[in-house]
Order: sequence, then structure tokens, then C-alpha cells
Amino acid sequence: MVQIYNDYKDHADFLTVYVREAHPTDEWQMKSNVKDDVCYAQPKNLGQRVAIANDFIKRFHYPIAFGIDDINNAAEAAYSAWPERLYIIDESGRIAYRGGMGPFHYDPDEVRAWLAARYGAVKHDPPTSQPTTSPSTPPAPTPPATGSG
Amino acid sequence: MTHFWKWTIAVFVVLLLAAFLVLCKMAGSPKDAYGMVRYAFPHMHRGTLKVGDDAPDARLVALDGSDRFHIRERTGGRPLVMIFGSYT
Repeated sequence: MVQIYNDYKDHADFLTVYVREAHPTDEWQMKSNVKDDVCYAQPKNLGQRVAIANDFIKRFHYPIAFGIDDINNAAEAAYSAWPERLYIIDESGRIAYRGGMGPFHYDPDEVRAWLAARYGAVKHDPPTSQPTTSPSTPPAPTPPATGSG
Repeated sequence: MTHFWKWTIAVFVVLLLAAFLVLCKMAGSPKDAYGMVRYAFPHMHRGTLKVGDDAPDARLVALDGSDRFHIRERTGGRPLVMIFGSYT
């Protein structure tokens, strides 16, 4: 998603909405969480959720605007957004794109296609063969996803 | 009747086992299958929003933990791409 943000930030606004944890240590923690050193309990108050969100931003230098769902999970409930989901709201405040439920139907390519249909496709040079020593783009706040973006 | 109930229970157990095996395959392991059923399924909802619906509003908290803003404040001028998710 960060790549999509970089490609279309001159045409559209982006907002990350941080919701309840998908794989906290005290619920359904996955092996990949341990491997990636992403180990947090489910926040019991807003301060804990804010702290985890800030850890994420700091670790990945995440550039997209951020809003954190209150501990009553109102935004998550309104958008049926857990564990991850994508939406586009148009200029009139209506839903223009509603992504599938994550993780299996979370597809950033659909967001890219919507934006490309409106503003034109953004081409990228093919990656070079030289190895890199750091991640090229930080992930959106999701469970380890395989979607491009 | 005894035979009927025995067969019914046997079929039920086989179906339950088959469902559990499918879940294990989906999730990756029995532990993950349990996690999926116990923690994920109760929170996963398709929802009723459709393209064309008014986007619901909600109040969000900024990264400083104290400032608050509404989703509606970010809509209007340009399309707004919303990315819902979490770190874990």
C-alpha cells in the first residue's frame, strides 16, 4: 500500500485506521509474529493501542496518515474491518470501493486499479538484480500479507 | 432406534473431524485452527456496507493519543483511501 500511496498521493488522500490486533500474544499468536518479533498482547486500553501503533510507525517509517480506532472499536464495527480491509470513499462521502475481508480477500491491486482507472496507471522500472539490505517498502499494518502494493 | 442414534452420532463425529481437518489445513496447524475458531471467527463480519452507501463516520485518535478527529473531516476534496489493519 505504501507504493500505491507514493504513486497516487497527489490525487487521493490516504488514511490508515489502526484497529484491534489480529494476532496478539494472549489470543491467536502465529509463528510468524514470533519470527518477526511482533509480539504484543491485545490492548486493554487506548494508551496501549496508541503505543503499539507508534511502535509500528517507528519501525517501518510508515508515511501514511494515521488514525487509531478508540478502544470501543467503533470504526472497526462500522466498516466490518477486522482484521484488515480496504475502502475508498469518494468526494461526495460515499463508498466508491469496498474491499474484501482480509486476509484472504485483502487486495491492494484492486485499490491500484480503481485509482489507475481515474488517474492513469503509474509504471515502475523493473527491480534490479542487485540485492538490497533493507526492506524496500514497509508493510501496511496487517498480518504478513502477500498482496502487492 | 439405538442403531439410528449410533449412526447419527458416528456421522456427526466424522463430519466434525472432517471440518477440523479442513480448518487445520486452512490455518496451518491444530493450534492455529483453534485460534481461528476461538478468536477470529467471532470478530470477522462481512458487514452490510455497499458501494454507493454513505461512508460511516467514526472518531479516531491521533498518534499522540490525545487529539481526536472524525473520518468525515478527511473526506470531501479528494477520494480517501482507507487502510484498516494492525501491527500483529
